[in-house]
Amino acid sequence: MSESMRPTPEAERLHQELEAVWGNPPGWRGRLSAVNHSTLGLRFMVTGLVFFLLGGVLAMLIRTQLALPDQAFMSPEIYAQVTTMHGTVMMFLFAIPVLEGLAIYLIPKMIGARDLACPRLTAFGYWCYLFGGIILFSSLLLEMAPDSGWFMYTPLSSSEFAPGPGSDFWLLGITFVEISALAAGVEITVSILRTRAPGMALHRMPLFAWYILAMALMIVVGFPPLILGSVLLELERAAGMPFFTVAGGGDPILWQHLFWLFGHPEVYIIFLPAAGIVSTLIPVFAGRPIVGYGWVVAAIIITGFISFGLWVHHMFTVGIPQLAQAFFSAASMLVAVPTAIQVFAWLATLWLGRPRMALPMLWVTGFLVIFVCGGLTGVMLALVPFNWQVHDTHFVVAHLHYVLVGGMFFPLVAGAYYWLPLVTGRMPSERLGRLGFWLTFLGFNLTFLIMHWTGLLGMPRRVYTYDSAMGWDLFNLISSVGGFMMAAGIAAVLVDLVLHGRYGRRAPRNPWGADTLEWSLAMPPANYNFASLPRVESRHPLWVNPTLGDEIARGEHERPGAAHGRRELLGGEALTGRVREVIHLPVNSLLPLFAALCLAVVCIGLLVRLYPLALVGLAGAGILLLRWSWENGGHPRAAPLGRDELESPPLHSRTADGPGRWTMGVALLADGAFFLSLLFGWFYLWTVSPQWQMPDRSPLSLPLLLASGAALTLGSLWLERRAAALQRGRESGLVLALTGIAALGGLHLVLLVWGLWAAGLAPTVTAHDATLTVGLAYLLGHAGLAAILAALQAWRAQLGLVGARLPFEPGVVALLWRYQLGVYWILVAAMALLPRLTGAGS
Amino acid sequence: MKSLRRWWGPSHPAQLLLGLTLWSLWFVAIYAGLSVACALAPPGAGQGALTAINGGIALLTLATLALLAWLAWRGLCAGRQAAGGGRFIALVGAGLHVYAAAGVAFVAWPLVALPPCL
Repeated sequence: MSESMRPTPEAERLHQELEAVWGNPPGWRGRLSAVNHSTLGLRFMVTGLVFFLLGGVLAMLIRTQLALPDQAFMSPEIYAQVTTMHGTVMMFLFAIPVLEGLAIYLIPKMIGARDLACPRLTAFGYWCYLFGGIILFSSLLLEMAPDSGWFMYTPLSSSEFAPGPGSDFWLLGITFVEISALAAGVEITVSILRTRAPGMALHRMPLFAWYILAMALMIVVGFPPLILGSVLLELERAAGMPFFTVAGGGDPILWQHLFWLFGHPEVYIIFLPAAGIVSTLIPVFAGRPIVGYGWVVAAIIITGFISFGLWVHHMFTVGIPQLAQAFFSAASMLVAVPTAIQVFAWLATLWLGRPRMALPMLWVTGFLVIFVCGGLTGVMLALVPFNWQVHDTHFVVAHLHYVLVGGMFFPLVAGAYYWLPLVTGRMPSERLGRLGFWLTFLGFNLTFLIMHWTGLLGMPRRVYTYDSAMGWDLFNLISSVGGFMMAAGIAAVLVDLVLHGRYGRRAPRNPWGADTLEWSLAMPPANYNFASLPRVESRHPLWVNPTLGDEIARGEHERPGAAHGRRELLGGEALTGRVREVIHLPVNSLLPLFAALCLAVVCIGLLVRLYPLALVGLAGAGILLLRWSWENGGHPRAAPLGRDELESPPLHSRTADGPGRWTMGVALLADGAFFLSLLFGWFYLWTVSPQWQMPDRSPLSLPLLLASGAALTLGSLWLERRAAALQRGRESGLVLALTGIAALGGLHLVLLVWGLWAAGLAPTVTAHDATLTVGLAYLLGHAGLAAILAALQAWRAQLGLVGARLPFEPGVVALLWRYQLGVYWILVAAMALLPRLTGAGS
Repeated sequence: MKSLRRWWGPSHPAQLLLGLTLWSLWFVAIYAGLSVACALAPPGAGQGALTAINGGIALLTLATLALLAWLAWRGLCAGRQAAGGGRFIALVGAGLHVYAAAGVAFVAWPLVALPPCL
């Protein structure tokens, strides 16, 4: 240990003080209740790695089956399950969670924070992921796995052609896992925008944080369409509501739209964090700042947007109008521009720097080669005539592996090698790492480069065997050999990862000469990350001040220690990073675990069609989540009001705009994406479905809907007024007002239930009634939540947990009411008024 | 109102999202509008590309292009005068507006040049 790294007595005292507040409790209870971002980030990554290995075994089974013609190694039924589960596991249980885990682990360390803004949400997300993943994967062990392909096209996945529970496992398991993705998306967004180090304005933020911010927002907007699709398909399978059945007025193509509205952005959700790794590593190993920081930021934002406008290029062969194909073909080519900007920025940085070909850079180089090839075949696939020719062939399989393995896996391994010394304090083995790289790189290209030719020769994907006369034998054999070579390379990497913790040499501080804040920390980092919170005035804090780590450890920066006994972050302005408040965080808790367990009960209850059990689980989850929200703000277990209150900056619960408000805002963005998808489904079925039946008279009672809406509008306006008054310090009559608002919420709910009951809908007969039922159920759920939260606010005001000195919470609840107000009137207009106005049924 | 004016400013982070949001709105309006127009009033056979529908697309496209070009120019001017974070946002925002405008033109080109409702 160098002289500068030896802890001073003051640093030691700070360490003990902070560890007492931020540490994970010992024993099993402690492990299960941990909410620390480092612990949970690593758990996400390790769990993702386990699923990766399982998915990899499935890939090897596929290659074994296809190695020779006319093989009977697997039956067609098992082969269909294996291919479906390989894609599902790799996309949903490995790629997304492992990148989320990386972001959860790294982002606070990179932006100079002690944790994420919502630590219990991190824990909740992890448990949902673990339980959802186990439930989904168990289907394979039970030989009941889904077998309709990883995109579950209807009607192949509908009950007529997939009568077993396989599709249910997929739909329920994936929805469960997606709760985890959404939780991570919401909290990472809020953390990056609101908890950066003082002075870290947006233009000084590490590029990795920009990439992760884009990924998080894309998850927030991109996942809800698939959640809606899964809910609708499960309702069709379990209850017979015909959303995707033509005879009932539904349309199977709606599933494809909803799936690819998620599915195409998903590719970029996976690619962007990986590109973030590349943009972090290249400047470090080139020894100079990245060329065109602003251009790269622009490219990230463009990718995030444009990726939502390309989904139809997955559907060029389903019979959509030719002009629409031209339209989406052009849009698909546009996305190549931001990708090219990034590639040129990386090449220019290498060109102008003095690159060191260390182990992580080897993997980055592999990424550049493979990903550029995958990108080029992507542009080929954007061309409609070519797309028609190779649709559903092995060419597409090869392309997607070039993009996903090249674009995600190679950078991920580069990142793993780069950050390993930070996590474990030890260096990986160069020899094993290089062996692993070359085996993986050569094996990958042997498998998938050749697969392009197999596809061009016409071999369709998902066929379990082929005749020797087709001429595909040699290509498939080479691909299979390459697959096993790649597996050997990955095994070498894994061996290195496992062994280096024990046998690797001790890492020197900042071993790569990096510029970002995470390398100012102890290796491995303490639970609290920073003993004092640094001010950041540069994009490259460690290049500007290489002794920053020692200064931080000695407590020479802001808010050293934790004598107050609270877990605290600095909350800053989103643009400038100027400190606005001190955010106090909740501590370790078992509530996230128990809430996720209750949701697992819901999932299993729905799977086995034991609906009372699912209802019990849902009620349990609801109660636990509300209990979780109760321990907040001025609650004795959070930050009770005291005489020596912080004034400048204040605690966030004493302000009107803490991270909870941002969390609610971003969560409502996801909710809005779900709602818009529902609205899209309504209009799509209405205008496109060949046997859609619009009744002559809308079954919805307009007077009841207007009365219910009036109660909601009054309640919402009243709540806005009271929240504003509270922020001005006026709290007289607060309890009564909040009780009145809750009562109006209750009235809104009751009138809505009455409206639903009076409508006499037949949701199992027509897609029209089924869609109305889902729309009204959506409104009912929100109405119930809004009323309950308002009632809880009244109770908290009665207990003194909400008031002029604690004005924060009503503003958060008001956001939900405002949202409900908006979606309510939009839905009433779309589903009750518009059909009347257009005379659609007549 | 004051908050809206602040959001509209060329150095506000909202500018990073505005250009591509306009692109998205144009994209949705054209895609949905074209479908509805073709369902309600399809042009006669053999009319080619010179139809009212294509005229409407061209007009909306030109208006969107003009707005995006103005926003880009405004961002560029503001970026030259500002410093630090404000300069960064204004210049990156201007670049994004230019890209959005190029995206509008590139996607609109086949729509205007080909007969509608194919």
